Amino acid sequence: MSALLSVDNLHVEFATYGGIVQAVRGISFSVDAGQTLAIVGESGCGKSVSMQAVMGLIPMPPGRIRTGSAQLRGQDFLGKTHLDGKAICGDEIGMIFQDPMSSLNPTMCIGDQIAETLEVHRGYSRTQAFARAIELLELVKIPEASKRARQYPFEFSGGMLQRAMIAMAIACKPSVLIADEPTTALDVTIQAQILDLLKEIQQETGMAIILITHDLAVVARMADKVAVMYAGQIVESASVDDLFYKSAHPYTLGLKLAMPSNKSDAAHQLQPIAGSPPDLFSPPAGCAYCARCPWAMQVCQGDNPPPFVIGDGHYAKCWLQHPQQERDIDGLYQAVTVTGAPA
Amino acid sequence: MWWYTLKRLFQGVITVWFIATATFIGMHNVPGDPLSGDRATNATIRANLEARYGLDRPVTEQYFIYMRNMLRGDFGISYTQQNREVNDIIREHFPVSATLGILAVLFAAMGGILFGALTALFRNRLPDYIIMFLVILGISVPSFVFAALSQLSLVNMNNVLGFSILPVAGWGTVSHMLLPALVLGLGTMAYMTRLMRSSMLEVMSSDYIRTARAKGLSPTRIFSRHQLRNAVLPVITVLGPAIAAITTGGFVVELVFAIPGLGRYFVQAVQQLDYTVIMGTTVFYGAFLVFMVILVDLVYGWIDPRVRLQ
Repeated sequence: MSALLSVDNLHVEFATYGGIVQAVRGISFSVDAGQTLAIVGESGCGKSVSMQAVMGLIPMPPGRIRTGSAQLRGQDFLGKTHLDGKAICGDEIGMIFQDPMSSLNPTMCIGDQIAETLEVHRGYSRTQAFARAIELLELVKIPEASKRARQYPFEFSGGMLQRAMIAMAIACKPSVLIADEPTTALDVTIQAQILDLLKEIQQETGMAIILITHDLAVVARMADKVAVMYAGQIVESASVDDLFYKSAHPYTLGLKLAMPSNKSDAAHQLQPIAGSPPDLFSPPAGCAYCARCPWAMQVCQGDNPPPFVIGDGHYAKCWLQHPQQERDIDGLYQAVTVTGAPA
Repeated sequence: MWWYTLKRLFQGVITVWFIATATFIGMHNVPGDPLSGDRATNATIRANLEARYGLDRPVTEQYFIYMRNMLRGDFGISYTQQNREVNDIIREHFPVSATLGILAVLFAAMGGILFGALTALFRNRLPDYIIMFLVILGISVPSFVFAALSQLSLVNMNNVLGFSILPVAGWGTVSHMLLPALVLGLGTMAYMTRLMRSSMLEVMSSDYIRTARAKGLSPTRIFSRHQLRNAVLPVITVLGPAIAAITTGGFVVELVFAIPGLGRYFVQAVQQLDYTVIMGTTVFYGAFLVFMVILVDLVYGWIDPRVRLQ
């Protein structure tokens, strides 16, 4: 059985005055219905760009998808706007963004903005669509929905706007919801509410969620599967438990150590990852993390590691996972039996 | 919204009163008076005339008399034109200026929004370069040059074609209005094009347009429903001052095209110190502009809910 949504070997680059930026360098992932895939990584690692490229939202030019494919239920859709008569954007795949304050049209009332999707994709009449928009607002737990639907974005709070965004994204019952840092602009209590809401809707509709975030706490709360991105590549991919308990890539480990905890002894001090990500105008030939990795070896500089399969659905692109590599690194999970690059 | 409208109208009345008072004071401080020309041949006649027009009374009293008359809608009679009431002058010539001005503003706004949107959509491509070059021309060349040039080229075109496409000058039919209105609105149109272009570019790269695209809307729907309304806001803000600039700047164009507008009387009156005509035309123009600016603000509120509801 093929996955609901799968992306294979996606390369995205941007032509700028300074040269070509290779923002995404060959990422592959898949997500099944009802599943949540989290894509984690620091700013500029290509997590948003890759999803926007899949949706066809990056401006071209300067953007360009060099190679790669994306499939929905086994059918290629990259570069297409419709699949089997259904629109990709807004109908099959819904999307919510980071800053709800600026992501909604300031001169259009909330209800109309939600209704618009239904009018375009479902052929609803204006009144029908507006009535449905009110129901959707109730679904995302906005009180006095019929009054709120006639209000404008500036009359909503940030959390309410993100709810409205969610209502808009799920209006056509999409099979996949892409949430691009949905809680980054919100305060912590609202964050929790929004995440709970997403989870609830997922349980009701069975949609897949692709959650882009840099917050490992959000990942632990939401995700089934995690892909860790660094410098335009997925360096480790695993189920959420494996990722936290069997971190097999030094970058994942670094992210974990840089996470605040509520224990106060010296062992739990925050350890930032020193240095900065590589220049993607001319990405390094070897492992991109090499310059910041405490265990970098000779081989890391010249050769990009293949994905080593560590367990079921768990791989890491790191030479330390090579079967002939010694297994003595503190904190890093190195499986006893590692298979080389998967097919 | 009603409260806002009332508030703005009240402010408008205060503004007009201020304009009237300032004009009155300024006018009476100019050396000379309307009777010092060849009309007052000797002291007796002059005294009679002063008594007749009330000029022998203190200025403050004149002010109050004038204000009282103005509130009744009576701007008095002209000093220099025989047996003509200022109200008649305004009634006869203002509609001409107003028609020309409003037509020019419409040209400017529609052209500016259209060309601005076009340049933004074709950013850094040939149509953008051509229009932006013309915009610089439109902003920097004064209207009387355009007026003369347009007349000249129209004459040549009429000669070549052997019939008249548009009349070169005069007033009366719609075809008389088109060319002067276009010339009068050209500078503002150029300015609005620039404004529209930049605000359009800003809107195009905004987050909510990305949202609209993620919703799967067609480019035409995004343009008409999401981009245009937001991009047009800065243009509407300058519409008020633009109306002022166009209607008061119409004098030169009216002269070149031999249009019987109010502008000529306005300028003549100042030269001859025709007190009542100066006051009448200034106050009337002032009131008209204040009203137009209020109207623009109300339109702005209608388009932008943030203004309407706060």
